[in-house]
Amino acid sequence: MSQTNRLRIAGGTVYDPANGVDGVVRDVCIEGDRIVAELPSGAPRLDARGMVVMPGGVDIHAHIAGSSVNHARRLLPEEHAADPAPAPRLDGGAVARSGTGGTLPSTFATGYRYAGLGYTTVMEAAVAPLAARHAHAELDDTPIIDAGFYVLLGNDEYLLRQLAAGEAARARDYAAWLLGTTRAYAIKIVNPGGVAVWKGVGGGDRRNVSGLDDTLGSSVVTPRKILEVLAGAANALGLPHPVHIHCNNLGQPGNAATTLESMKALSGQRAHFTHLQFHSYGGTPGKGWASAAREVIEYVNGHPEVSVDVGQVMFGAATTVTADSPVEHLLYASSGRKWVNVDIELESGCGIVPYVYKEKAAVAALQWAVGLELFLLARDPWRVVLSTDHPNGGTFLSYPELIRLLMDRAYRDERLKAVNQKLLAGSALLDGLAREYTLGEIATITRAGPARLLGLKNKGHLGPGADADVTIYANEADRAKMFSTSRYTIKAGTLVVEDGQLRRAPAGRRLAVRPGYDAAVTKDVKRFFDQYACVAFENYGAEPVS
Amino acid sequence: MTDRTVANVTCLGCGCACDDISVVVTRDRIAEARNACALGAAWFGDGSVPAETRVNGRSASLEQALTEAARLLTGAKRPLVYLAGDVSCETQRESVAIADRLHAAIDSLAATAAPAVLAAQRRGRAGATLGEIRQRADLVVFWAVDPSARYPRYASRYAVEPRGVAAPQGRASRTLIAVDVGERRGPVEAHGRLAIAPVDEVDSLEIMRAVVQERAAGDARFQPAIDLARRMTEARYAVIVADGEPSPIPADPARAEALVTLAQALNGPTRCALSTLRGGGNRSGADAVLTWQTGFPFAVDFARGYPSYQPRTDAAALLGGGEVDAALVIGAPATLPEPVAAALAQVRSVAIGPRSSAASFQPVVAVDTGAAGIHEGGTAFRMDDVPLPLRPSLDGARAALVTVRALRDRLGA
Repeated sequence: MSQTNRLRIAGGTVYDPANGVDGVVRDVCIEGDRIVAELPSGAPRLDARGMVVMPGGVDIHAHIAGSSVNHARRLLPEEHAADPAPAPRLDGGAVARSGTGGTLPSTFATGYRYAGLGYTTVMEAAVAPLAARHAHAELDDTPIIDAGFYVLLGNDEYLLRQLAAGEAARARDYAAWLLGTTRAYAIKIVNPGGVAVWKGVGGGDRRNVSGLDDTLGSSVVTPRKILEVLAGAANALGLPHPVHIHCNNLGQPGNAATTLESMKALSGQRAHFTHLQFHSYGGTPGKGWASAAREVIEYVNGHPEVSVDVGQVMFGAATTVTADSPVEHLLYASSGRKWVNVDIELESGCGIVPYVYKEKAAVAALQWAVGLELFLLARDPWRVVLSTDHPNGGTFLSYPELIRLLMDRAYRDERLKAVNQKLLAGSALLDGLAREYTLGEIATITRAGPARLLGLKNKGHLGPGADADVTIYANEADRAKMFSTSRYTIKAGTLVVEDGQLRRAPAGRRLAVRPGYDAAVTKDVKRFFDQYACVAFENYGAEPVS
Repeated sequence: MTDRTVANVTCLGCGCACDDISVVVTRDRIAEARNACALGAAWFGDGSVPAETRVNGRSASLEQALTEAARLLTGAKRPLVYLAGDVSCETQRESVAIADRLHAAIDSLAATAAPAVLAAQRRGRAGATLGEIRQRADLVVFWAVDPSARYPRYASRYAVEPRGVAAPQGRASRTLIAVDVGERRGPVEAHGRLAIAPVDEVDSLEIMRAVVQERAAGDARFQPAIDLARRMTEARYAVIVADGEPSPIPADPARAEALVTLAQALNGPTRCALSTLRGGGNRSGADAVLTWQTGFPFAVDFARGYPSYQPRTDAAALLGGGEVDAALVIGAPATLPEPVAAALAQVRSVAIGPRSSAASFQPVVAVDTGAAGIHEGGTAFRMDDVPLPLRPSLDGARAALVTVRALRDRLGA
């Protein structure tokens, strides 16, 4: 179907929460790459009777492209060998590419598999500015999905210097310049200040920060300050997505206190807290773990300026890949698994450890339960959206299983019986949570919610003018089966999945912002580059060079 | 074109990928590559490249060459694609697409560092981008390598001379140690040095790791290495520099893994990065591109219709096995490892790249192009996987990217 074509998706049961449509049998009309209100009666029809029609899926947080992801791919030849992905047969003999899967699939396989799942938009969650050009090249080789990335800024040497000098306005200009020059979509903070300390900032024997008020060299530079300034910058710049925060103390017992303190530090400001599950633990380091999901989600429920994605842990193979390098060092030291660390000059870090979450492991079971509690105790699905922090908590291919856990209490209770319950005492999940997500709520946490949080006005809904990104699922009682393979995926008006088979693989679009800033900042950044950087200022970023 | 100077040019003469070169162009020739080392100056040369298109040794049109190339490659039962040096990542991406379509084997110059790549796959890595070494290193251990020979500006741009945020005096903020392993010696200007017999190299690394992990017993024969290990634990940020490329005197194959695990173990008592030196020509780009498109960094085989990994059967081994009946070499034939170039002489081949018409292996089809970074833009990767833009200083040469794309179109890939 070409761009000028029309299509009437006829008679499906439509879930379009952004437009208040919750399981209504109606037609959805497409003209070109947009949804339209109506089409002439003779327009081509796709019979969707008995099927479920939703906007295309929107993944707010996944690791799919760039230097860290590629380091992780390189580390896992055994996974790739075990999961070959022959080229799909596309319509009209169009060229498709083979690849490999595993927890970090090759680029082409990533695009095809997301489309097969009914997802049409994905955000890469962590790209160091120095490697932005690399991330764009990989996204160019990732077909079908529209994609963008978040640029890492929470441990950046130039930024920290501006904070030390009290130059909040210059910090904001710097963020704006960096977003534009790297062609990024949003500002990402990973373990504010902690990665810088891991690399030696502040001196001493510290390898991480422990809380919001640890200082980094200057007494005024703290994780709290980093959060405040960057959250303020994102809001002042009017970015479509607020600052995207991976809090301090990821994975540590008792870290819920840090998480809540971080949320309170930004009280009244829009901010997105990512993979909340990894930041919602009670207990004390070295002395034990417990769920603190209820406490954390109750704060979220009461504060409309806060949004989160859950970062659910799913049992099975995963790969932890993050800019939070001190955390990966701990995981390496405790697991003895293979480990990648890359310190990235003046900017950030990268740590990777392959991992398996086992039902019989007490901590993995706790993590699994904490994620489910966050989902099931959340009051506003628009602000508590689905993620597994792919591939950290599990891969994107586990989303259908996660949806079943949310929609099917009997199944969930059955699974709960099989997990290690040592650390689940007192958890809300063990006490019994009856909630079952509806299809409308699933459409919210996988489509409408993430699109709204990302400020993507034409995504996540099916109203006139929206991008013609549509997924059609067979309505099966087994929700994991239903969501594992879309019957039809339409991307920008092109039928990419047809009868459950990938048939077309057009290129996706890049999502990026270019906020305005006082150009004086670039002179100062260039001075800093001339003094310390080892790439030319003119060669930095990801813009085409003349 | 008029005389001019192109600034901020990236050099692919070695893996340092220095991006501070100013290329002075006079009468359509490179008159000078300012800031370039001798190796870089030689890499730029005067920028002149032949512009031949040959089929069976005779001049031909591009049309004829591409037709013959497509015929030869589609008729092959066991084609091999080889990514040689001096092409951009953009051209490498097109080349992998061709290999995928042909169900060919594909290998690249990145295979020269196979022991280091395989060690990193088994154990991971403790690394840093070169600029982070500049910012932080206070102790630099040159393990059996003096970078000045094959990576001339490594010390002046990255690891030794320049000032960094935590090394305010540059060289004066750092201690340099040379470890001489037999004839593989560290830099002469090191502050301290120790000698290790080649037969003891891996054992020394293992004992150093044991010392770092506080599980070692003393052994007088290894005392200098033990002392070095202790010294490293006292550094603020230690760096081990080792060559990932093969040396004329072969090293113990187990040493790459021993270097990785020592560097990893030092992250605990202190911070440490292993800096693995790699050669030029954008071979690190070939590694990155193959990894993102296939999941494997080199020695990939599409014969089954999907990528499989054959790290024990690299291009030279595959060609030597006699199975390959056609080869496509993309990049500068002059950069090929000797065994690969020699083995290519035994098969019918297509060569697209700088000075292909002068290839020693006498390709059936040879299409000369310009070199990435001299005549053609795009992206290349530094040895530490940092991507850099390429800025052409000369025009007029046939672009490799356009030519490879044209071949890809012919092949329906």
